[in-house]
Amino acid sequence: MTTPDEIVAMELARLSAAFVSQLPEQVQAVEDEMTAWLDAPRDAERFEILSHRVHQLKGSGSTFGHPGISAAARALEERISAYRRGMDSGELRAPADVESAMAQLQNEARRARTQASDPEGNS
Amino acid sequence: MRNDSLHKILYVEDDADIRKIVSMSLEMVGDYTVAACGSCSDALEVVDDFGPDLLLLDVMMPEVDGPATLRALRSRESAAGAPAVFITAKVQAGDMAHYKRLGVFDVIVKPFDPMSLSDRIGQIWQQFRSDAHDDAG
Repeated sequence: MTTPDEIVAMELARLSAAFVSQLPEQVQAVEDEMTAWLDAPRDAERFEILSHRVHQLKGSGSTFGHPGISAAARALEERISAYRRGMDSGELRAPADVESAMAQLQNEARRARTQASDPEGNS
Repeated sequence: MRNDSLHKILYVEDDADIRKIVSMSLEMVGDYTVAACGSCSDALEVVDDFGPDLLLLDVMMPEVDGPATLRALRSRESAAGAPAVFITAKVQAGDMAHYKRLGVFDVIVKPFDPMSLSDRIGQIWQQFRSDAHDDAG
């Protein structure tokens, strides 16, 4: 007989697999929002949408077994905030830090997908 | 007089997958009754009929965040005395004191293990009851 713990663990495994399969779309959505925000960095609504997407990835990454995704999302969140603070203080800098953090998030997403498709690391 | 035992948890979280696994864990592992809501407005619709013993709120949500959701729920008599627990990935120096000023009883930091969440909630409830007993004594 399946115990409640086992049922929850199976659902967690199912949601974790779904999280990984949706990662390319999720990360692409973050990149699209980031591009739109960098085009209009004083747009508060764009900033909120972008921050929320990154924050969700940060929270769900670790919950679904991918701390690398959470760490990369956290770094991106911090750099987005730092860029905005710099802009608010009249010190608009090149967004290279933000873009490199975005690239790191894309790398982590690829790594998570590879790990999920080849958990033994045989390829 | 509020229950000595924890039965009903009103849970507000905008991420559907996290909401699902947390609800399942609390219901199946912890044997609690959970009203899971995706937003503040959803929570306000159910709170009076549900009568929660405890409020479990995500902090960063679009439109209405955790602190504002807590204020809205606290304005209802049905949730006025229920302890509030925030779930957040963002706990920096000073955040905890700020949350306490808002009337938050405790904070669960993301990432958390969904499998052990029920135990953590049970511990928080015991602490809440113990504090309430000390205050009454």
